[in-house]
Amino acid sequence: MSEVTKNVSETSAATLQTMRERDMQKVSAKQKIVKICVQTALYLFLGVMALIVLFPFYWMLVSSVKTMPEYIRPIPTLIPHTWDFHNYVEVFQNEDLLLGQLFANTLFVGVVSTLLSLIITVLSAFAFARLEFKGKNLLFAALLATMMIPGELFTITNYQTVNSFGWLNTFTVLIVPFLVSVFYIYLLKQNFQQVPNELYLAAKVDGTTDLKYLWKVMIPLALPTLISITILKMMGSWNSYMWPRLVANDEAHRLITNGLRTAFTSAEGVTDVPLQMAAIAVVSAPLFLVFVFLRKYIMKGVSRSGIKG
Amino acid sequence: MKVELQNLTKIFPSRNKKSGEEVVAVNNFNFTIPDGKLVGLLGPSGCGKSTTLYMISGLQKPSSGKIFFGDEDVTELTPENRGIGLVFQNYALYPHMTVKQNILFPLQNLRGADKLLKEEMLARAYEVAKLVQIDELMDRKPSELSGGQQQRVAIARALVKMPRVLLLDEPLSNLDARLRLQTREEIRRIQKETGITTIFVTHDQEEAMSISDVIVVMKLGVVQQTGKPQQIYDDPCNLFVAKFLGTPPINVFEGEVKAEKLYIGGECVLSVPGVADKAVYVGIRPEGFIPDENGGLSCEILGVDVMGRDVSIVSKNAAMLTPSVRSIVDADYSVAPDQKQIRYTLKPHKVFLFDKETEERIYFEVQ
Amino acid sequence: MAEKNATLLGRVWQSISAFFKEKIWQGFCVNILYKKFDRYKGWIYLAPAIVLLLIFTVWPIFNTVRMAFLEGYTTMKDVRGDTFSFGLGNFTRVLEYKGFLTALKNTMLLTVLTVPISTFLALLIAVCLNSIKWFSRALQTIFFLPYVTNSIAIGMVFAAMFNMIIGGGARPDFIGVVNIVIEALGGEYINWMNEGAEYWAMITVMVVYIVWNALPFKILILLGGLQSVNKQYYEAAKVDATPRWRVFTRITIPLLSPMLAYVIITGFIGGFKEYSSIVGVFGESMRAPGDPTYTLDTMVGFIYRAISNQEGTASAAALILFVIILVVTMINLYVSKKKTHY
Repeated sequence: MSEVTKNVSETSAATLQTMRERDMQKVSAKQKIVKICVQTALYLFLGVMALIVLFPFYWMLVSSVKTMPEYIRPIPTLIPHTWDFHNYVEVFQNEDLLLGQLFANTLFVGVVSTLLSLIITVLSAFAFARLEFKGKNLLFAALLATMMIPGELFTITNYQTVNSFGWLNTFTVLIVPFLVSVFYIYLLKQNFQQVPNELYLAAKVDGTTDLKYLWKVMIPLALPTLISITILKMMGSWNSYMWPRLVANDEAHRLITNGLRTAFTSAEGVTDVPLQMAAIAVVSAPLFLVFVFLRKYIMKGVSRSGIKG
Repeated sequence: MKVELQNLTKIFPSRNKKSGEEVVAVNNFNFTIPDGKLVGLLGPSGCGKSTTLYMISGLQKPSSGKIFFGDEDVTELTPENRGIGLVFQNYALYPHMTVKQNILFPLQNLRGADKLLKEEMLARAYEVAKLVQIDELMDRKPSELSGGQQQRVAIARALVKMPRVLLLDEPLSNLDARLRLQTREEIRRIQKETGITTIFVTHDQEEAMSISDVIVVMKLGVVQQTGKPQQIYDDPCNLFVAKFLGTPPINVFEGEVKAEKLYIGGECVLSVPGVADKAVYVGIRPEGFIPDENGGLSCEILGVDVMGRDVSIVSKNAAMLTPSVRSIVDADYSVAPDQKQIRYTLKPHKVFLFDKETEERIYFEVQ
Repeated sequence: MAEKNATLLGRVWQSISAFFKEKIWQGFCVNILYKKFDRYKGWIYLAPAIVLLLIFTVWPIFNTVRMAFLEGYTTMKDVRGDTFSFGLGNFTRVLEYKGFLTALKNTMLLTVLTVPISTFLALLIAVCLNSIKWFSRALQTIFFLPYVTNSIAIGMVFAAMFNMIIGGGARPDFIGVVNIVIEALGGEYINWMNEGAEYWAMITVMVVYIVWNALPFKILILLGGLQSVNKQYYEAAKVDATPRWRVFTRITIPLLSPMLAYVIITGFIGGFKEYSSIVGVFGESMRAPGDPTYTLDTMVGFIYRAISNQEGTASAAALILFVIILVVTMINLYVSKKKTHY
């Protein structure tokens, strides 16, 4: 009796074992299929989304080399029949646009404001990160608090201020009011604080002045952050629209975004879309170049800031 | 260069504003460091040894007191004008510069009459690099070096200006045990070769004992004892110093002196001529025990560690104040496996008496 | 005492002290003044930043509040020497002003629509990007691309994509590439933004553009958050045979909640400050041809136009905007404090 039961239990155990193994195989096969399906779905979704994201860029480039008759075909050509680059020549000759002037203005404002802003940011961040003085923490907290206030609140009074300074329609007005960015100071201060204090003391023992220490040690060590700041600041100048529109809307000081918008607003009737697209492509090109070469720094800077420009 | 510290005191304002208590990091430090010696400032953390070092370097200003290098008062001088080299605990090498650039960096700051030509700087850099044996590594970055190599670079950077005094802050604490031993010898060698007065700070008494010419033992900002390592070990001036120096550490007992005899746990263990009757602390170095069936001190054996050259017996006694009584005796002496009790006679010069109130040493005549 | 500080002031000081060399009170100079300088060094380094901040940040805070609470304030009257009584007139006037209410409605609508859509899409894309093997880097780059654009310029591209070119016939000469796609999919073309376009159509165009523009930043932050999640949680879930969906809702989302909160809060703040993207698509008049001007106005747009001649009104509007942003952010923070897990 007992022997029989034992046998039965043995066989059933064996069957259970094989069943379990078979199940396992089934499960793993099924898992594989599910996995492949999921992956395919993921790529499909991402692919479609990527196409949607890219489409405006594609449409801009394609349209910019079309002629107007080709552009308004009921069934659009995905690859232009005629590659007509004369729009790109024309945007630089267009009287309404004056693209050369706009480029020069924007570049000048961008470079000068970035340089000055970097100097101010580095000095301030250094003071906050390394020097000891009374009221430091209070001052820093006050600076951070100003970050919560929307910029429009400042703009109203700043407009009055620059007006009373007689700065309207100058380059100064485009550069000076935005030289100090509390956020950049904060970012760089954090970075500077990661440098061990002993390096500063060692430099002091060696007779290094503060400024030389800053230049030779701190700046090289914080270079990635400084590059991020530089790019974001340059991009900011390139993309700024509202303030320049408000305070420097004359031809001599107009910046590129404002110029672009103004040039294609005035004319009523049918817009020359291909020409417009060529102009936009030219304006966007520098940003893309910067992006291609310095993607790492931009993404790093943005992921820590969340501030556009 | 002789370094003289006169009544050196450093008081930090209190961190906690409400209590308003000041922290006396260093209290009335008087000491003269003889020329060309290697001096160790030794003490537990928070004893003010690093503050003392920073005051000698000029990175911190003393609250009062004076510092002399030779006959020159340097108290008011900034670090770069004192002619010192300082090696930090974490080395503080500039991570973005090569070894060569790191070593050259102090030289590039020299101005005026001290200014050097490029070739001179390079020659000096290579000279010190050779001295600390890193001349092969000159083009590497600090991150590509081992801890010991980084340490050498830091020393080279401190030496390249030919300082009058070399200061080392916990020079070995960031190294692993094997490297520590090796680097210890290395520091000793470099110091001997250059003959620069060197002051270093450590909390590791073994480290301090093994390489210093002179040790300064500190506690809570106050100097406890100064002297040659062996001298301090053999003749500690108070209980703290006795406990702080020596591995294995000294054994401490409650004791009592009656009629010029020392009693531990009621047993008469030693005659101590010239000591008045009173309760005392008794410190006995591990090597101060001699197993002897007729000895005065009896202990209960807990275990025996055989260490080759000698034997360490761990035992306990009712009057002990340390977790156990550890004695080191000759390897010739063997303890029977079932032996429970052991009796010792004591070597008088290894036994120290301390006042129970002041914990100061009470001297007796060793016969 | 040579060259402790080679800052300009330090150098000037050195030349002065050299001039007085061997004078008795050199000790005084060095000991008292030099030490003083050392103590205020921090402020000297901060001086340029502080001066600029005082003029362009601190003063505006006070002045804008002042202007907002002075009845009928304009700079012109102020310069002329008029006096203003203290009161809430600017605020009541702003709130009664039809243009402002339109702007408020548009701003709210756009924010309420775009923040959930863009956050959801970004989360979806980020999760997908995090779970694929190949091309992850390349796709990441593509999805980041809209960030490095000029919102006015690309807005003009979007306008071209939605715009029709009206000819003489009943059907427009060109219906725009978006409508072409809609027709290809079997739908009917829509007047998105030409003369006679309906309000919801125009809002749709703006929602599409704003979402497109907002995706990159959100994807970047969320993907960063996903990548920093400890892989061990997923392995533990795998050992317990947790289903995918459960893993997502019970592990991924809670661990990602701080980033989600951040993305949503910044999304709301950005939404309330929307302006230039609308100018990009619809031009400075912010309307479809034929509509009254500023049909699609936003609060920032309203403020900007009032800046140069109605400072009191602009200040009041800016303060209202500030309060709205503050309140929405507080609510967000309050909710996220309850919902986020760290």
